[in-house]
Amino acid sequence: MKLSPALQSLATALRIPIHAPSKPISCLATCTGHYQPSQTKTSPFSTTTPTQARKADKGPAKDRRIKLIRYFLHHPRTPRPLRFSRNRTLRHWTIHRAAQLLLHNERAQRELELERQYNAMRAAMEELRLGVGDGGRLYRQAVSRKGIYGGLKVGQSGGLAGNGGIPAEYARAQTEGPPRAGWDHGWTRG
Amino acid sequence: MALPTYTIRPALRCLRKAYYLGPGPLSSSHRFTTTALRQDEAIAESTIDASTPAPPPAPPSQYLDPEMVSTPRQERKLFKTLGLQPIGSRRRRAALKGSDNVPFEQMPYQCFQEARKVLQEDREIKLGQIAEMRRRIARWQNTPTAECGGEVAKKGKLLRMHRHLEELKVLADINDPMIKKRFEDGMGDMNRPIYRYLADKKWRAYKRRILMQRISQMYVVPDMFQHLDPTAEVSLAFGRRNIQPGEFVDSRISEKPARLKIQPFDKGERLVTVAVMDADVPDEERDAFTSRCHFLAVNIPVSPTSTSVPFSKLSKESHIVLPWLPPYAQKGAPYHRLGVFVLQQPGEGDQAKMDVVGLQESMARKRDRFRVRGFAQNHALHPIGVHLFRSKWDEGTDAVVTRAGIEGFNIEYARKKPEKLPYKKKDGERYR
Repeated sequence: MKLSPALQSLATALRIPIHAPSKPISCLATCTGHYQPSQTKTSPFSTTTPTQARKADKGPAKDRRIKLIRYFLHHPRTPRPLRFSRNRTLRHWTIHRAAQLLLHNERAQRELELERQYNAMRAAMEELRLGVGDGGRLYRQAVSRKGIYGGLKVGQSGGLAGNGGIPAEYARAQTEGPPRAGWDHGWTRG
Repeated sequence: MALPTYTIRPALRCLRKAYYLGPGPLSSSHRFTTTALRQDEAIAESTIDASTPAPPPAPPSQYLDPEMVSTPRQERKLFKTLGLQPIGSRRRRAALKGSDNVPFEQMPYQCFQEARKVLQEDREIKLGQIAEMRRRIARWQNTPTAECGGEVAKKGKLLRMHRHLEELKVLADINDPMIKKRFEDGMGDMNRPIYRYLADKKWRAYKRRILMQRISQMYVVPDMFQHLDPTAEVSLAFGRRNIQPGEFVDSRISEKPARLKIQPFDKGERLVTVAVMDADVPDEERDAFTSRCHFLAVNIPVSPTSTSVPFSKLSKESHIVLPWLPPYAQKGAPYHRLGVFVLQQPGEGDQAKMDVVGLQESMARKRDRFRVRGFAQNHALHPIGVHLFRSKWDEGTDAVVTRAGIEGFNIEYARKKPEKLPYKKKDGERYR
């Protein structure tokens, strides 16, 4: 029987033999094979037709996925479902709610901090724009985005040309921790 | 072989002793937790809602506690002295007696206790916010309108503040496991916002969806009302039989007046009108259907705690405009849909009252062709709850109709034969 890798790993984790579902089917096939000759036999002393055990009406073939789900769900090696008593459910629920609350508070706190930082930055820029008294010249220079992604370029004559900005490749989104791969020392442009 | 008592571990013995001394609060040496007890709950509740029920009086003696008596003799004594029946099985009661009887809040699980501490801190914050909100509302109410930027602005602001206050009241209690437990046991006090909130959520999760589906499937919505958004739970019963929305009801069962349970989920008392309308009365003259009023009563007070409205117990002078007329359907006619509408009357207190005597005079001859939509429009009523059932001809209808003295019932309807489409003769060429 072919199983998806996920199911296979599940079966190995639960130590369930995966060749098992083919067994009952083969058994059924052999059983019907045994019964067939006895149908033709008739009792010599009776005129009534012998009643025979009815074969279970199997109906249309079930979906393979459903069969597999049932097999794994009701297999004796499958651990029993997690059932808690009333009080234990309530305790579980309490702990869950408290954890959710903590997470929520943490998130809200972070959001507030971000908002505070943004507001402080904005106030500083406003101060630069209006409070310095140079008609906003410093401010304009500070917010100018001209050539920030340009970088240096070695010209054909050997000198450096370009606008001297920070190359876009150096840009990394700000995160709380360092990247997983660390700094790429071997990187060169182009 | 039974072990002698002194081999029981000291801690366990300690706890056992606590039970023998009585089910009072545990002594301080038993407390595993550093968190405060739930004694503060009562105080907090009183800040939220003034009307808190008094705690039930403690049983006089723990030997006669209906939760704990476990011998037949004690049971008899309990019944004789206190007139109480024991609760639960004898096995359960004996187990309870042998248990160390730790209240749920004091269960010695570290994670659970830490979680409770977190939740209680949050509750304290919420209570502070509630107090703050109350103060702010009072301040806004006292400021003159001119300073608030006009009548409309002040009203809107106050409305938003009240809404926020209601939200905070729910949030303060929503994480309490005991409240969850009490609600699941059906012991919730509907005077408190948290239980109303939980009940509303539960109703909307399943029952309201079923109701809305039936209403739209059976075309109550365009036929009897143009739009319905029920906000109160309405359940209908005849005698002891509950009726699901849209169910077929035997005419013998619906002969007696119905009993409604109207459960609003917002606080306060309001006056409602209840109308039962049959929308499928056959009209031979027009070869169409009309409607009929089967019941009409006004000025019925309903609140979250007083929900039962038995039609037979309403007073004829002050409530009932049109008494109950048993639903019936003539033989051969398609089934009748009977909509039960709960309409809220505008205004508050005595202003909301409708003139019963005047209505009784004006509606006396208007049972037939009664339209609930027009009635609601004329009296500025707002539908807050709906229910629906169906009735069709059955063996009991004849008797019911004779008992009710309804005339003009002896008609049997037959379906009109559809006109045949004109036969188009094919040209003879094809059959040769």
